[in-house]
Order: sequence, then C-alpha cells, then structure tokens
Amino acid sequence: MKTKFQVNNGILIVIVAALAVFPFVSDSRTWTILLTQIFIFSILAMSYDILLGYTGIVSFGHAMFFGMGAYATAIMLNRIEPTLGVFFLSIAVGMVIAGILSFLIGLLTLRLKSHFFAMLTMAVSGLFLVLAEKWRTLTQGNDGFTFRAPEFFKDRMMFYLLVLACLVLVYFFLRRFVNSPLGRVLIAVRENEQRTKSLGFQTLHYKVIASVIAGVVASLAGSLYAISLRFVNTSVLTMEITLDALLMTIIGGVGTLIGPIIGAGVIELAQHYLSGLAKDYPIFERWIIFFGIIYILAVIFFPKGIVGTIRYAYWKRKNNDLKVDVPAPKRKELIK
Amino acid sequence: MSILLKVDNIHTHIGQYHILQGVSFEAKEGEVSVLLGRNGAGKTTTLKTIMGLTPATSGTVTFLNEGITKNATHHIASNGIGYVPEDQGIFGALTVEENLKVAMRKEDDAARERQEYVLELFPDLKKYWKKEGGHLSGGQKQMLSMARAFINDSKLLLIDEPSKGLAPVVIEKVMEAIVEMKKQTTIILVEQNFIMASRIGDTYTLIDDGETVQSGQMSELVQNEELKRQYLGIG
Amino acid sequence: MELIINLLINGLATGMLIFLLAAGLTLIFGLMDVLNFAHGGLFAWGAFSGVWFYGLTNSFTVAIIGAILTGIVLGFITEKLIITPVYGNHIQQILITLGFMIVLSEMLKVVFGPNQLAAKTPPLLSGSWEIGDVIIIKYRLFIIIVGLIVFGVFQFILKRTKIGLIVRAGVMNKEMVQALGINIKQVFLYVFMAGAALAALGGALMAPYSGVVYAEMGMEFAILAFIVVVIGGMGSFPGSLLAAILVGLAGSFMAYYVPALSLAVNMMLMAIVLIFRPQGLFTAKG
Repeated sequence: MKTKFQVNNGILIVIVAALAVFPFVSDSRTWTILLTQIFIFSILAMSYDILLGYTGIVSFGHAMFFGMGAYATAIMLNRIEPTLGVFFLSIAVGMVIAGILSFLIGLLTLRLKSHFFAMLTMAVSGLFLVLAEKWRTLTQGNDGFTFRAPEFFKDRMMFYLLVLACLVLVYFFLRRFVNSPLGRVLIAVRENEQRTKSLGFQTLHYKVIASVIAGVVASLAGSLYAISLRFVNTSVLTMEITLDALLMTIIGGVGTLIGPIIGAGVIELAQHYLSGLAKDYPIFERWIIFFGIIYILAVIFFPKGIVGTIRYAYWKRKNNDLKVDVPAPKRKELIK
Repeated sequence: MSILLKVDNIHTHIGQYHILQGVSFEAKEGEVSVLLGRNGAGKTTTLKTIMGLTPATSGTVTFLNEGITKNATHHIASNGIGYVPEDQGIFGALTVEENLKVAMRKEDDAARERQEYVLELFPDLKKYWKKEGGHLSGGQKQMLSMARAFINDSKLLLIDEPSKGLAPVVIEKVMEAIVEMKKQTTIILVEQNFIMASRIGDTYTLIDDGETVQSGQMSELVQNEELKRQYLGIG
Repeated sequence: MELIINLLINGLATGMLIFLLAAGLTLIFGLMDVLNFAHGGLFAWGAFSGVWFYGLTNSFTVAIIGAILTGIVLGFITEKLIITPVYGNHIQQILITLGFMIVLSEMLKVVFGPNQLAAKTPPLLSGSWEIGDVIIIKYRLFIIIVGLIVFGVFQFILKRTKIGLIVRAGVMNKEMVQALGINIKQVFLYVFMAGAALAALGGALMAPYSGVVYAEMGMEFAILAFIVVVIGGMGSFPGSLLAAILVGLAGSFMAYYVPALSLAVNMMLMAIVLIFRPQGLFTAKG
C-alpha cells in the first residue's frame, strides 16, 4: 500500500544545509566527530534496510561487507600511499570485492528459507572474522594497525563534509532504487514471495540484486569508518557491527530509508551519553543490555519503528473511513 | 431430535481474505449433514472454523448449547468433536498403533472398547498394526483417520471429502463405515461425490462463494434439478 | 595409534557437548518451527551457574543439578516472554531471539562480573588412565558417557512414551495434534524447557573441560550447534547426534593436522549440505 506521506524534499534540503554549515559555526570537535560517526552508520543502516526493510531478508553477516571496505581502505592507504587518489581507488576496490562476495554468497544462500539464511550469513561472517584474525601479515589481527589518512582529511571538517555528501548521495540513490520498478518487485518479494514467483518473477535474481547493492553500500560505510578512526582491527568484522545496523534499522523504522538515519542518530547519541554515565553509575558499562531490552520491546510492540509509526498514524488519519477488508472475489462478480 | 451443533452466520478471514461470508446451518443429533458446493466454495474452511483452526471473525458456533466460537482447537476437540481432514492428517512416521495412541486421550476400558470396535469396523488397520502411517494406501489412511477421530467418544465427527482420490471399491467401504458410525455419533460430511452424499446424507447445506445458499432435507435436493445444475454443475 | 585414539576421544567429547546444545535446538525447531538464536545464551548460563554452584557447595552433582535448574527456569522465561509473543512470524522470531541472546550474555557479565571465571575439574574425574601407550583423560570419557546416556534417555522418551509420541506427531503435523484434543502450546513449553535444560547441562559439562567460562562461549558454541542442526537435519534427534560427532571429530583432527582449516571445514560441510541437501542428512518429517 502506497503511503501518501513522503519525506518532503524541501525539509530535507534545509536539514542538509544546516548540517553542512554546522562545522563552520560550531567549533565543537566532539560534535563534529559524533555527527560524522552518525552519518557513517546511517549509510550502513540504510544498506541494511534494503535487505531487512525492502526485501524481507534477515542477514546476520552484514559486518562482513562493512569490514571489507574498512580493510580495503586501511590496507591500501597503508601499503601504497596516503593520497586522495588511493583513497578513492580503495573505496572502489572495497565496493567491487563486496559486490562480488555478496553476489556469490547471495546466489548460494538466498534460495534458502529465512532461518537458514540468517544462520548461514552468521557463520560465513564468523569465518571471515577468523580469517582476518589468522591472516596477521595482512591485518595484524585483533591488534590492528594505524595508518595515515590523506593530507586532505587532516582537517576534520573536510572529512565531515565528504561523509555528509556521501550520505546524501546514498540516500537519494537508494530512494531512487526502491521506487524504481525493481524496488517495487523487492517489496512484492517481502510481502509474499510465493505469489511474486507465481507472477513470473525470478525472485532469486531480485534478492541477489538487493544483497549486492546492500553489500556495496555497506562497504562504502566501512571505508569511511576506517578513515574516521585512522585505525582498523578485526572489530569491524564482528557481530556488533551487524547488530548496530540491525538496531538502528529497527528502532528508526524498517522499510523507510529515512528511519535508519534517525535510528543511527538515536543509537549513537544514546551510546555516547550512556557510556558517559558509566563513570558515575557502573551499571551503564553494560549499556548494551538496555539496547537489547529496548530492541526486544521494539520488535514486539513497536515493529514499525519511529518513522514507520509516524507514517502509519498519518496514513490512518487520512484514511479514517477506509474499510480495510478484502473480500475474496465472488464468482458472480467475476462473471459480470 | 435435538440440535447438536449450530453454526450461525459465521464470517472467517484467512490473512487479509474474507473467505466465509455468512455460513449458517444446524446438525441434528444422529444425522449425517452434508455440506455441498463447488471447489473453493468454503466447505473445508467451514469445518476448520468449527474446529477453531481458522477461528471465525464474527458469528457464532454453538455445540451442546455452549458457544465454542473462540475456543482453542484442543478444547473443541476434547469437548467431543472429532476431525478427519481432507489430507487425512496421518502422522507418517508413526505406526497405526501409535497414531491411535496419540489420539486416545484417556486410556480406560471405554476407550479400549471403542478401539476394538473401530478395529472391527476397519480390519485393515489391525492387519497393518505395526506399519508406518506414511506407507498405508490412500483408503487405509482414510480409515485410520476416521478411526482416530472416533476413538475418543466423539459426539460429532467432521469428515472432509472421504472419497477424494479413492477407487470406487474403497469408496464403497468408507461409505459403509460412515453408515455404521452414524449409529453411534453425529456426522458432518463434506462431499463432492453427489451420489455418495445423497445416499448417506440426511440433510444438506449448499455453500457457494462463502455463503449458505440453501439448507434442507437431502430428499428434496435430489428432486431439485434447478438447484443441482446451478450450484453443483450436475443434473 | 595413541595419537589417533586421543584425537578420537577429544573429538567425541566435543561432539557430545555440541550435541547437548544442538539436541534442544533441533527439537525446538522441528516442533515449533522456531530457530532459537538465544540457545547459546542458555548454554553459557549453564556453564556460569555450574561453576558458581560448584564454588558454593564443592559438589559437582549439585553444580550439574543447579545448572540444569537454571536452564529450566530460563527456558520457561524465554518461551513465555520471548517466543510466545512473536509465534508464527519468522522474521520477528529471528530478530527477537538474537536480541535476547545479547541480553542473556550481557546479564552474565552483570551477575558474575565481566571477566572469565576459572572452572575446576572435580577430583574424582580429574587425572587420566594409562592403558599401554594410550592416555585417556577421565573427564573426557565422562562427557562422552553422559552424552550417550542423555541420548538414550531422550530417545526412549521420544519412542516409548505418550508425550514423546505427541512431540513426534507435532513435528509432523501440528494442526492435527491440536485437532485430536492436545494442547500443543503446553507441549511447546515443555520441549522448550527440556531443550534449555540440555543446553545448560552442556554448558556445565563444558566448564571443567575448557577450564574457563566466558560470556562469548555461548555464541561460539551456538554457531557450531547451528552447523550441526543443518547437517543433521532440522528436527531430527538422531541426526543431531551423528552430525555433532562428525563436527566434533572434524574439528579435533583438523585442529591437529591442518589447524588453519579447522573452522572452515565445518563451514564447508554445512555449505555443501545446504546447497545439495537443504533438508539435512536426516529428515524428521513424514
């Protein structure tokens, strides 16, 4: 069902403009860094939304693609030279590897039922984590390594603006994608895969396309993440990254694109403040428990997330008198 | 004769689809009531709604003067309604013996007596006592399923298309068994095979497009060529 | 020769521990169609509570019983609070059980502290026997025996008792079981609690075997158990035993001969099974 409520482009432009001038008016380093972090995770969460929200696939291995991007960028900047050219090249390399990888994995596993797929992605990404731990000559394992970022990013502001630009581009690209005929088929797959199949769509192809796009975008987020830290270790491949993406998407609202961005903001801010509180209240060292509980409650009681719930309320108000009852077609009517 | 089960204007949704749109009928004690209608008319859904497997969204089902519309399936079954689904619902990896054992709620003398009775009724089951349900023939599965529903002193049996996919000789056997069971219990039968339905049915209810079209005595329907042609495509 | 026997015993012991975890997983999946991503959390809770009870009473028997009770209680809570609300919705189930897994392992850190705990082997079971050149570590043999006993008991229950028949019938056709007057939700709860108890028992046995317990062990073993459940066939109890032994042995021999491949081998086994025989090597249905 198409909702009339769409995020108004005008409002979006105002928000983006405000965010773009933010570092020029505020000299808070903390905020610049925090916002950069939020933007990066927004990109990751949006890519996850393509899977969970638009195609109805639960992957527990999304960190794999994020890590791929992070390692591609870190290793290339470290081994070749820390220039902008190499940086962009490394993003492309990460995306290509992530694309090929997600294509292969998708082809092999997406025909399986949701349970198996979730399990298999979890196991494959676990395998990559072990691989990264073991292949120390390349990754230096859990210790990780620092590297020099291109000169251009010495100024945090430049990096901030680049990430913001990436976020905006990815958002419009993905929005274009989900509203395209292809994206519509994905939604049909989510709603009822069997029926979509019987309409003659090779649903596997569409699911693979969705998983490749999600993988490629996640890799971009990984590349940016590596630069933001100027450091990489195996934590970029852990389940925690996947969980962050999952949580942001669910809290913000699955299948809305804008939701995951809001989710990323909420989670990153909450994480920031809660771990700040831990100094005074040790229980907050385990802040992830609160997230776990909120997440469980959200899945049970709030499955539409922030944006989904607002949209639904809006849609309901507009269609108050609409009776939602689909009678099975009657033969008499069909004959008429 | 008293009314055992009364279905009053039930509506049932499956997913977003409104399948039953007003089905009503009564089953009198000791009779065989037949639900007739084309494929997809809503006969199976009616049985499932009585059983609580696809609960009605509105309307009422009354059994033994007690509303059971919203009851859980296992309550409905233990209240005394036995169900023989269209696919017979045999547990394929369990033997005939085990299939009956799962069904038997109380293992007392009365239950054992009934077991003896059904085994007399269906001697094949005794012959294949230790055989896995999945390896039985279609007719044997049908008999096992009926025996299983009957074994618990069921006051009412819902039997969904017992003749489906069976050879004429076997259909004859199944029919004889239903006639025999009728002496002890009340039966609601869904049947496409009109010859069989008209021979063992006392009353009929015609369902079309999820609605009751007409109910009455089976003998009247046999005479009514117009009704038969319009809704059953025969005559 | 002695090396092979030692690797064999190692593999079997690990296999039995994985089996205890996978057995519950496979029964719960077969009957309820729920893949419980929180199952590893129950395993870790069994391990921690076992160590805790052992420290408290110095009796390994009490430790095992305490761990099993912890598993049963947690299983009850999980089924009522986490599984029932989203019953029938696969995506929500997957998401919510994973969330509960995180809560369970973080709660471990809250209750028992964030560091790993050392686990002692009870004196009676420590040490080893020497038979010729072969050294058999007592505790490993103990695990194998316990695993086999558990398998025997559960196999007996499933094959010979009424509740076992109902569970097997439920795996094949849930609707029909209800239509025969059986409250399947009650059966679900029992099976879930039994599965949780097995996982907790596995954890409690694991603790002295590995010497330490830590919160992440739940997830690590759960992945192995998932692999086992896939290889053995979802819902097949004997299948999970055979697959668990296979995975245990593959892990033990690979760790010795080709250490780099030890995890990859299991993954590859699973991938091959999923691609060519997605229903697993054994099937429970029909």
